[in-house]
Amino acid sequence: MTINTSLYSVEAVAILDNEGRRLFAKYYKAPHEDAVEDIVLNEKKQLQFEKDLFAKTFKQGNDIILFDNHAVVYREFPDCVLYVIGSLNENEVLLYNVLQGLSGALEIVLKNSVDKGSIQESYDLVVLTVDETVDDGIVLETDSTAIASRVTNAPTEDVANIKIDLSERGLLNAFNFARKNISDRLQQGF
Amino acid sequence: MSTSTYKRFEDPESGYLPDKMTVYQECLQAFNASPIRAKKCRLLLSRLLRLLYDGQTFPKTEATNLFFSVSKLFHNGDPSLRQLAYLAIKELCTISDDVLMITASIMKDIQGGEPVFKPNAVRTLARVLDGSTIHAAERAMRNCIVDSNQTVCSAALVSTYHLLPVAHDVVRRWANEAQEAISANKKLVRSPYAIHEAFGSSPRLPQSTFFHQYHALGLIYQLKKQDRMAMLKLIQQLTSRQPLQSPFAVLQLVRYVAALLQADTNLSQQFWPLFASWLNHKSEMVELEAAKVVLTGSFKFNPDQQLKAISSLQELLSVPRTVTRFAAVRLLSRVALADPEKVRACNSDLESLVNDPCRAISTYAITTLLKTGNAQSVDRLVKTIAGFMDDISDEFKVVVVEAVRTLALKFPEKHSTLLSFLGDALRDEGGFSFKNSVIEAIFDIIKFVPVAREASLELLCEFIEDCEYTELAVRVLHLLGEYGPKTPKPSLYVRHIYNRVVLENSIVRSSAVIALSKFALVNDRKLTASIRILLKRCLQDADDEVRDRAALSLRLLEAADDGPTAAAKARGLLEPESRFSLAALEQQLCRYVRSKDKSSFTTPFDITSVATHTEEEVLAAEYKAKTTVEEDQIVSSPTPETTKATKSLPEPADLAARADLLEQQYAQELSAVPEFEEYGPLLHSSEVVELTEVETEFVVSAVKHIFKEHLVVQYNVQNTLKDIQLENVTVVAQLDTDAYSEDLAIPAETLKPDSSVSIYVSFSRPHDLALATLANTLSYVTKDVEEATGEPAEDDEGFPDEYQIEDLSIVPGDFVSPCFTTSFTNVFDDLDNEEVSVYNLGSPETVKIQEVVTKLTQSMSMMALEGSDNVEGSASHTLKLFGKSVNGDRVAAVVKLVSSSKGVMMRIQVRSSDAELSQLLANQW
Repeated sequence: MTINTSLYSVEAVAILDNEGRRLFAKYYKAPHEDAVEDIVLNEKKQLQFEKDLFAKTFKQGNDIILFDNHAVVYREFPDCVLYVIGSLNENEVLLYNVLQGLSGALEIVLKNSVDKGSIQESYDLVVLTVDETVDDGIVLETDSTAIASRVTNAPTEDVANIKIDLSERGLLNAFNFARKNISDRLQQGF
Repeated sequence: MSTSTYKRFEDPESGYLPDKMTVYQECLQAFNASPIRAKKCRLLLSRLLRLLYDGQTFPKTEATNLFFSVSKLFHNGDPSLRQLAYLAIKELCTISDDVLMITASIMKDIQGGEPVFKPNAVRTLARVLDGSTIHAAERAMRNCIVDSNQTVCSAALVSTYHLLPVAHDVVRRWANEAQEAISANKKLVRSPYAIHEAFGSSPRLPQSTFFHQYHALGLIYQLKKQDRMAMLKLIQQLTSRQPLQSPFAVLQLVRYVAALLQADTNLSQQFWPLFASWLNHKSEMVELEAAKVVLTGSFKFNPDQQLKAISSLQELLSVPRTVTRFAAVRLLSRVALADPEKVRACNSDLESLVNDPCRAISTYAITTLLKTGNAQSVDRLVKTIAGFMDDISDEFKVVVVEAVRTLALKFPEKHSTLLSFLGDALRDEGGFSFKNSVIEAIFDIIKFVPVAREASLELLCEFIEDCEYTELAVRVLHLLGEYGPKTPKPSLYVRHIYNRVVLENSIVRSSAVIALSKFALVNDRKLTASIRILLKRCLQDADDEVRDRAALSLRLLEAADDGPTAAAKARGLLEPESRFSLAALEQQLCRYVRSKDKSSFTTPFDITSVATHTEEEVLAAEYKAKTTVEEDQIVSSPTPETTKATKSLPEPADLAARADLLEQQYAQELSAVPEFEEYGPLLHSSEVVELTEVETEFVVSAVKHIFKEHLVVQYNVQNTLKDIQLENVTVVAQLDTDAYSEDLAIPAETLKPDSSVSIYVSFSRPHDLALATLANTLSYVTKDVEEATGEPAEDDEGFPDEYQIEDLSIVPGDFVSPCFTTSFTNVFDDLDNEEVSVYNLGSPETVKIQEVVTKLTQSMSMMALEGSDNVEGSASHTLKLFGKSVNGDRVAAVVKLVSSSKGVMMRIQVRSSDAELSQLLANQW
């Protein structure tokens, strides 16, 4: 029995649409180490893996599958599937907790409508949610409220009127600068 | 231009990606503009990330351009833009140049930025830094670890963890901060920029989720894992005074304790109270991990403790969460492989899981039940499965069939139920892999359960009548050819086979021809004559392969008429009695082809040098491999074709091949020693016997090789010291009997530090089997090794020394090798020279029947037959053993074990064609 003492426990997170196409896919590797598995760098393998995985899982109504030497937990939404992928020996419940946290947080940030459309529309929120859940394979947080509370909303409008403020100050600065310069010269007796 | 792409992206149904070049251009434009429009830029960033997370990459120069324009976004103070910008930087880091440039901006954010993106800044920093630049960030990182904001602290700890491989020494300096972080109180902070209307079922943000404990513990372990005392202290502290709040942290702690146990299994009992509490932890994942350690690790947990773990798994079997049930049943099935007895307590729970909506769970439940089931429950179980086969996919069907196959080997007497199940399975619809597994199962029954042979052959005959897979038809025909002639009524099968010749494609036809020809060898003139007629008809076949084979067979059959010697020769060609060991053949061929010395090609490859096995030996190896297979079966693989390739554990055939290769390797090593050239072929090699503890300075193990007239003991000596070299190493072996006489010893000249050598001592062996004990002493000259050269000083004469190692006994098992027979009872009845001995092994508390059985099988070096190496009840057991001695004598033993209040009684009854052998084996205990 080999004991895995590393914190790197999630191998990949993926969201596929109802035809098995990628909406989001991130295969993790430790930032300062070489990739252990070939699949991390090989996009062709990733796509093949996702295609086969999708065929095995879509509309099956289960939560977990051991697939091609990976333990995969997943959750189906109306027209997309969220996968959390770990190694074959990873604690399945750990992976499931990550999945729960992530999907719960997605529900919060996407206002309870996790589907293909809103994922594409609010892609910034989705990627931030994933990034706040897993950081290159290390689980950051599994409480969905805590995850969602880290995801910032997009700015509501572009604030353009600050500029006037700035220019006014600029004018004042110029005036002050001129005044100081002139008074200096006057004092020097010019 | 942008409107069209904009539209496409907005349309949720299209699924199109934004155009890569457009996004690139727009990003450069918008990010470099002044003033920066936060909303537009965030939208562009999200499109850029959409591309990156789809697997699109940018060439290095473009990525670098993007990277620098993203860094321009730092001029804008909007926190929500900044957070996404950090994510983009993190992703672009790996594909662009000069990422260090951004360090200053990030550091500024870490020191004084808005708390909402501070953690993102910290995590991004870990991607930008490397081993040489980490010093700049040391202070900032330390401050972040002690920050009272949980997210900042976690981010800093995780970043530090990422940096470990490149900056272990620097990171070690902030171990104190990390240690304090475990117990410190950290809070989650809500940000005004991240308020979502739909805050789900639990609208209130918890005060703290304690996740930083998980990260801090992970980091500290990496820093301190070498220091055992520190680890023990840490565990002590985290389990008593300041218990961990985060279940993830507890899970990690379980793993660290397991790692400690792996290094020193004697700690198991000391840590048991911890495991006991973890087995009842409120978090399922902790319970699961603890059970995994207790049950599957090779640690010294006693049966009661393991039973506790089983019962906590049992509770997990009935929880509503599918994943938990799955994990628990998966673990149980793994335990059942090694020790079905333990899992039996869960049988009723497992039976209720058979109808679980998740098919993977029900399949695991079924296979586990099949493993733990006893002879009585087989019928019922098989009936349950039969009802269940229709609604599962092929993949699971294969797993179930595999389980049934093992069952058939374990309970040969249940063959009729199992065969009818397999027959039904064969008639059902199914893909190739499923059919193949059914065929394999039936093949095994034919090979190892002789009573069921005819019924199975009949099934196969029926199958090939309507078989769509050529490969399977060919295999079945071959098997019919092999076993058909041995049945009482061979003519029965001839019709089925000849039908193939008439109806099938050429590949099937040609193998049917060969199968037919084998029937002609039966001593039945009428049958032989008819077969000849059939074969002659085949000469008119349209395909040349079929014609060739028919002609060859006819020619051989005609030759058989010429006399007994010719007949024997023909028989040898048509029905070879021994086969080449394929592993050895491959190895030797490779060696021959790769030989550097050109002259070796002048002589052709000598096939007689390749070891051959008789059919019995092949069967023995297969049987052993098949009954000891251990693998996690329910791993789906993308396509059926790759099933074999992706299996994580070795195939049974591999196991057999490995044992085979080991034997080959010994033979080759020995034949390389000129002194042993005249000894003839190696008859038998024993298992490796350890003669020292594993931790000693010199580790010695021995293997006993039996030749026709000699016994060679091979001592493997390993020098574990780093600064001592041994010279003239030999083993002085003193015998306690005169039956053997020492011929020669081949010492090793030098034994370098940290390496190992083999020393041989050879004895003349009396023709009869004599037991003896060797008192061994290792004698050698030690020399200190100079550090600079790695060689001892030239003038160092060294000093002679001796080292006492344990005695080596020559036991009866050394003269016996395991062998398979299909009809143990017949063989046992045929043999005479019975010897019986009875022993009392001691009280049942200390003596476990299973252990005795395993030990006996090993020490007698015989094969346990009819599944008798699996102990079922705890009260009594019968073990049936069969083997063959080096002199070719067959030997069979029946061992009866009965456990009662007086102790465990053992009665060994041995019969053999050699009186002396039975006496030795019966009295060896």
